[in-house]
Amino acid sequence: MRNFVSFFTALALYSTATLAAETQDVPIMQEQAKQAGVNHTYAGPWEYFVGGGVATFDCNGDRRPDIALAGGTNPAQLFVNKSSTGGALKFEFKSLNLTEKELKKVTGVYPLDINNDGFKDLIFLRVGENLLLKGGPDCSFTKANEEFAFDGGKAWSVAFAATHEEGAEFPTLAIGNYVDRDAPGSPWGTCHDNFLYRPNPGTTINYSNRLALTPGYCALSMIFTDWNKSGTPALRISNDRQYYRGGEEQMWKMEKTPKLYTRADGWQKLTIWGMGIAEADINGDGLPEYALTSMGDTKIQMLDRDADGAPAYLDIAWERGATAHRPYMGGDLKPSTGWHSEFADFNNDGILDLFIAKGNVAEMKDFTANDPDNMLLGQFDGKFKEAGKKAGIGLNTRGRGAAIVDLNMDGMLDLIVVNREVPVSLFANLGGDAPNSPRPMGNWVQIELQQDGPNKNAIGATISIKSGNNNRVRKVGVGGGHASGSLGFIHVGLGVAERANIRVKWPDDSWSAPYRVFANQFVVIKKNDNIPKYWFPQ
Amino acid sequence: MQFKLRTATFFALVLYANSGLAADKPWSENAISGHVPMPQGVLSKQALDQLVEQGEALFSAKFTTPDGAGRPMATQAIIPTKRKRPPSQQFNRVTGTDSNACSSCHNEPIIGGAGNFVSNVFVSEGFNSQGSDSIDPQFSNERNTNHVLGSGLIELLAREMTADLVALRKQALNEARKNNKTVEISLTTKGVDFGTLSASPDGLVDLSQLDGLDTDLVIRPFSQKGVMTSLRQFTINALNHHHGMQAVERFGTRWTGEDDFDKDGITNELLPGDISALVAWQATLAPPTRLKPKQEVWQTAAAKGDALFDDIRCSSCHIKALPLNSLQFSDPGPVDAAGTTRDSEVKASAIYDLALRGWATKLAKNDKGQFMVPLFGDLKRHAMTDAENDKFGNELLSQRFVERSVFATSELWGIASTGPYGHRGDMTTLREVIEAHGGEAKQSRDNYMALSEDDRDNIIAFLKTLVIEQ
Repeated sequence: MRNFVSFFTALALYSTATLAAETQDVPIMQEQAKQAGVNHTYAGPWEYFVGGGVATFDCNGDRRPDIALAGGTNPAQLFVNKSSTGGALKFEFKSLNLTEKELKKVTGVYPLDINNDGFKDLIFLRVGENLLLKGGPDCSFTKANEEFAFDGGKAWSVAFAATHEEGAEFPTLAIGNYVDRDAPGSPWGTCHDNFLYRPNPGTTINYSNRLALTPGYCALSMIFTDWNKSGTPALRISNDRQYYRGGEEQMWKMEKTPKLYTRADGWQKLTIWGMGIAEADINGDGLPEYALTSMGDTKIQMLDRDADGAPAYLDIAWERGATAHRPYMGGDLKPSTGWHSEFADFNNDGILDLFIAKGNVAEMKDFTANDPDNMLLGQFDGKFKEAGKKAGIGLNTRGRGAAIVDLNMDGMLDLIVVNREVPVSLFANLGGDAPNSPRPMGNWVQIELQQDGPNKNAIGATISIKSGNNNRVRKVGVGGGHASGSLGFIHVGLGVAERANIRVKWPDDSWSAPYRVFANQFVVIKKNDNIPKYWFPQ
Repeated sequence: MQFKLRTATFFALVLYANSGLAADKPWSENAISGHVPMPQGVLSKQALDQLVEQGEALFSAKFTTPDGAGRPMATQAIIPTKRKRPPSQQFNRVTGTDSNACSSCHNEPIIGGAGNFVSNVFVSEGFNSQGSDSIDPQFSNERNTNHVLGSGLIELLAREMTADLVALRKQALNEARKNNKTVEISLTTKGVDFGTLSASPDGLVDLSQLDGLDTDLVIRPFSQKGVMTSLRQFTINALNHHHGMQAVERFGTRWTGEDDFDKDGITNELLPGDISALVAWQATLAPPTRLKPKQEVWQTAAAKGDALFDDIRCSSCHIKALPLNSLQFSDPGPVDAAGTTRDSEVKASAIYDLALRGWATKLAKNDKGQFMVPLFGDLKRHAMTDAENDKFGNELLSQRFVERSVFATSELWGIASTGPYGHRGDMTTLREVIEAHGGEAKQSRDNYMALSEDDRDNIIAFLKTLVIEQ
């Protein structure tokens, strides 16, 4: 009897405190760039108001994401990941072995194994000649424009996407160009054509076949996307209305001669200050939704099911609470300027979140000057809720490109944001905010795909991760965002599921058998293997 | 028993008082109306006794709708899953809810014990066929109720074995990286062989040669399939499945966005401390014992059967005792995943020192000072059917990655007190269940069949000494 009395006394104090902790996890993101040894700034005049990219990829075979950063008028830099598992972020600078001239004027960086040698290569988008850097052992790179017969041109490039087209030995590269500064009347209405580099047939890499995608409308982001599950991705391009005249958002049908989707196809005109595209299937209907950043509100596009298969989209950003059209901190009610967009599950609750890098172009008075980046946490009701302030990413910086990746292999996604004119931010995800914080969040799994032959990293594959009635879908792709791309483990938050069935739709459209995996593992799936392997960081 | 009932009644009343409702009504229909504080740190004997008493009251409580019993808009799935429409009746033998107290089934021969065939449960993942009331095996696997006595020792063994296996994996990886060559390592812990794994210098681990455990090397000691990690996880699952009592740590706002996920009008039905109390009670239950028969003839027969049990290799899987290093049961434990409170989520886990329970002093020790847990099991899964003998192959659904014919070795302690037998509970005698062994157990079964009738009887005599004390 006495015991129960004391239990009762403790009870009243207990309930509210504990329940307060039982809300959705908000990840605590701790900025560690300086301590981590990443000292880098993207800077420069007008040409560098846009761009500011980062590539994350493994360049030394340890499966930890290394970082390449565009610098604008500062040199691009490579940082090799030396973080201990679950520990503080730590990186070491490594020379890229390029000339100072080649290292400068870089706006964007994307990783890709272009020549199928198992080493990841880099694409440097530049104001001037774009560069293909061939990766080698131990994070070594050599300029390969000549070897790959790649004409880097002299345009002002900011956007990139890659795909492996059917039957091709090497990837198709799409490069999006911005203002043609040499055209009469520049910059107004003088957008540069975009370029499509299809490899010549055969086993010798050769990109001499450069195709102009005309008209260009000042592209700032592009992705290859299988928008209608046809099996052949289209090239979707987000364009900046600031400079085009009569332009709009674009999507190219990837036929032998690429063809623009038009009104006749059902394509609807949309004019935005398109800065970044991200795709994800956020409503589980098997079709991708798109997050398009702009000045003012962000668009979340969902295919209009009533459009009879036409590429017509509904904007569901408002109903989902994801317009992110003005700052969530400070008193400035002027519109935001959005750049990199990316869906990811920061808190491992099984629901995709949306990150948007924000920042004034330069000194645009009609737009907010203090424009914190967004972390819009996906909710169980399908909406998004801003958590940037609580997460600690609401800095007064001008964000541009970004990457969301697990840098210290603890299962939680970290964040790199390239800021204009001030140092890069490197946020370590410490876990969920709680009275005893940080606390571990939901379960997760990270997946690496491998296949023999061309396209070793299975660019274009679809991964279906099923636990219970939840079917989460991830695409393996390189492109989109703002001048930034990642290639490595695909991260999936699993919430409370402790296991999952994984099926892979390989780039050749063949489906794998289900792979049974347990949560909180790094899973490596090689095509045609019966059982996946687990990988363990050192 | 009278004391227990009185305790439960008092428990209910005290909790009810805290709810702010009609606290003083002795006719209240709530079984609970408040919550147990989350324990932490090493519990004194008094604190542990108190928690255990609260746990027993919860285990015995007949949950009612005002408590939160029922789950009109949630299925029995361990991942919170919505029903499409509410069931027409609160109780459903197949999809649940199918009882309103843990002790409704776990009661033979004492509370915490096993259940007769009448208390079988139907196991399905709960993601589809939510309204099915068919016992056709295409929809669910029918399972007999296990006893939970000694389950604290079982979980401690599993944790130590998991830690051993993880350490072996780490050792293999370290050697592979150091010597730059693939290392194959035998996964043996406490004398139980779980196959091998190969570690490559690049950190990849080949899991194709594992035997009888999951690929994450976590020994999951609970359920007839060996798919549940901990008492805490199993308790949360069962509370939802059987009673519709949803634990906040799995079904609350953090993981579902709702504080009343099952839409029964009751929010925050069970808090982490409530689960801790249930875990503490189960973990500290005295394990079954060995009866010393009064009759000399039985003593003689049992002794012979004891030896034969080894001779015919029953004990190769039904290992008579496994060594345990520590009786300190931490809760939350070290192996659970999100959705079951993890030790890394709390300031300090509670430590239930099983040595504080009187029965612990009766555990034998080996020459290394380890406690010998007489479970008659190996905490490993085995294929139990073959072409000649498929009696255990009567299920159509795999469960949580475990094939239909594969089951965890049943711990035989208490077997004499917990008939009927088999995972479906449809064998009334020990002879029948022995004869049903196939697959990996075929040789032992054949050895048994080759014994003389007297020797077969001696083995039964031995098994009949493995009892639950009343």
